[in-house]
Amino acid sequence: LLGVPGTSVEKNITLDRRTRIELSCRLDNKYSHLKSLQVTWKRGNETVRHINKTETSWSIQLRILDNSKLGSYSCTLKGEEEISAIFNLQVPKIEGKEKPIVSYEGDTAVMICKSFGYTPIAWAWYMTNGSEQIAINDTLLANKYVINRISANVTHMKILKLTKEDNGVYWCEAAFELGKSKGKLKLKVLSLMVPLKPFLAIVAEVVILVTIIFLYEMYSKKKEKSA
Amino acid sequence: SFPGERTEEETEALAAGKSPGTEAADRGWAWGVVLHFFLVNVLVIGMLKTFGIFFVAFQEEVGGSSEQVSWIGSIMSSLRFLGAPLVAVVCRRLGERPTSIIGAGLVGGGCLLSTQATSIPFLCISMGLLLGMGFACLYQAAAVMTAKRCRTRLAFSNAIARSGMGLTFLIAPFTQLLIDSYGWQGTLLIFGGIMLNLVPSSMLLRPISTQLPQHSSAKNQNRGALTAKKDSEALDGCLDETTHREIQQRSAQDLPTTEGLRMCHGRDVSGAVNTPAWEKLQKPPTDSCSPETATEAKKSYKSLPLTEKENSQPLLDFSPLKDPIFCIFTWSFLFSHLAYFVPIFHLVARARTLGISSMDASYLISVAGITETVSQLLSGWVADQNWTKKYHYHVAYLVLGGITNLLCPLATTFPLLMTYAVAFAIFCGGFMALILPVLVDLVGVEKLHSYLGFAAFFAGIAAIGGPPLAGWLYDYTQTYVCSFLFAGACALISPISFFFEPSAQKWKLKKANL
Repeated sequence: LLGVPGTSVEKNITLDRRTRIELSCRLDNKYSHLKSLQVTWKRGNETVRHINKTETSWSIQLRILDNSKLGSYSCTLKGEEEISAIFNLQVPKIEGKEKPIVSYEGDTAVMICKSFGYTPIAWAWYMTNGSEQIAINDTLLANKYVINRISANVTHMKILKLTKEDNGVYWCEAAFELGKSKGKLKLKVLSLMVPLKPFLAIVAEVVILVTIIFLYEMYSKKKEKSA
Repeated sequence: SFPGERTEEETEALAAGKSPGTEAADRGWAWGVVLHFFLVNVLVIGMLKTFGIFFVAFQEEVGGSSEQVSWIGSIMSSLRFLGAPLVAVVCRRLGERPTSIIGAGLVGGGCLLSTQATSIPFLCISMGLLLGMGFACLYQAAAVMTAKRCRTRLAFSNAIARSGMGLTFLIAPFTQLLIDSYGWQGTLLIFGGIMLNLVPSSMLLRPISTQLPQHSSAKNQNRGALTAKKDSEALDGCLDETTHREIQQRSAQDLPTTEGLRMCHGRDVSGAVNTPAWEKLQKPPTDSCSPETATEAKKSYKSLPLTEKENSQPLLDFSPLKDPIFCIFTWSFLFSHLAYFVPIFHLVARARTLGISSMDASYLISVAGITETVSQLLSGWVADQNWTKKYHYHVAYLVLGGITNLLCPLATTFPLLMTYAVAFAIFCGGFMALILPVLVDLVGVEKLHSYLGFAAFFAGIAAIGGPPLAGWLYDYTQTYVCSFLFAGACALISPISFFFEPSAQKWKLKKANL
């Protein structure tokens, strides 16, 4: 990572499986005049050892084996000014849907979760009830929930026979070797009356217009007849 | 003699009563027709354009590959053109107003039915077929009614109505809002309601010369009433014709009859033709005079047999296909349609390949849209001034548009591309506004239905083939330059046929006089 004095630079690295990774901080040639630099690699508050050093770069090698090794690693160069760079090691992010999915009572809703680029080991779905997250077991409630893994990176959950109680937030969770990642989806269940009201209003307006035009035509015909 | 006297009085009264009072009313109804056509343009074109937003929603919920879902959109937009000949037949039988109401009903019903859709084939029929046919009905009826009502300022009224297409950009965000609040089913439900608004606006398509139905229906209590109404709706504003029928109905005298016939000579033939057919019904009540006047009518109009057949057997009328004028017009229509659609599809893509951001590219499109609307209005107004024949303007716009397209590959920066877009929009708006007036000029109003129907059919074939052809061109040449060159070539080919127009007219006259 190249850094400018006085600022902090950040980089996100996505890992989905166990691997060895080398993080290095390199000082740009412009600033090589800064002497007496002390470089510290930290993870949180903990200092990491085993630093490989060259003239202008400092790096560490990590073996990421499980979730506990993920997180933010920072390298701090202390000289006259302090320069730091942060590496965020994380599991792949799952995208849910920003906008709520709208569906109707008695209908079926389909919720889709996709993982981009990385293949999860397994998918799981959760429903939020109050503040708790309840796992959705599709074998238990097979006539209500149907979970399908359409492809390696995509999962579908169909909720049948929607009711008002199905309103709320759902989570799709992808399990990777190094951890789990969640995506958020919102479901809105409307009753049939909701769009029906504007529709009936429009139909009423249409009927009124038709009547007006019809009456006007009868009136003008009568006028012409009597003229 | 007493019936004869009464007839003459009544004809005078009719002639007098028609001119001052009802002319203002006629103008009012003409504006009503323009308003209806405007609404049709807004809603129909808006629905076609926002189909893309429904596309995503359908794909997620109902399933199916994107090719299958795009079939729905293709069926919808192509049936709008391909259904036109059938609609022309229906229009001639029932009249424009019932056809338009049927069209509005089909569209509304199709939308409502689609809310219950569970699979792609279902949607193909409910949305594709029903909506497509409904659109065809609405469009044909509105276009022909505009031509019939707005005689003098046809180009301008057509342009005003077409400017409705410019407003369709508002429908897209509105649709998105509805989908976010109500889901696609609720949105379709509300759209069905909005489309039903076309029913009262269709009622504005008042048939011309509405006085006669009162008289005739009062006289004929049996089926004569119904056919009289149909006939009067098919009458094309030939005022003298109505009086002519009045006369014929009551043991006519020869003198007023021939006068009536002569007065109408310059106008529409079919008006006079309707009377013999109608008179056949009247044969039982009135004995001697009607056959005489019928034969006399037959003698003075040689083209009668053809149009008589038209009226008594209103099946698919293929006579336009034998007319060279029709070939001229359709050739031009087809190529100008191709020249119009292809650049629209590829303008944004070309802008992106030149490195212009998508914000700027969409800015291009909106500027082009506004320019096109303004140019349509201007072109319509200019054409109505009748400084020269309308198709001369049409040809000029097409040639200039073709040259602009051929020069497009030279536009490689944003300002140049903007200039191209503006120029293209000006010329496109110009020739688009004149399509209907040019057809009316070439063909006259009474045959407009069948001509417009078949012309739209062929244009529909071009519309189906256009986008895939453009896509294939891109895949083959890996650059969008060829699409613009192709569009330019099409735009230059299309006015060629108009150079044959004078000779075609002469040929037609010769054939009619034989």
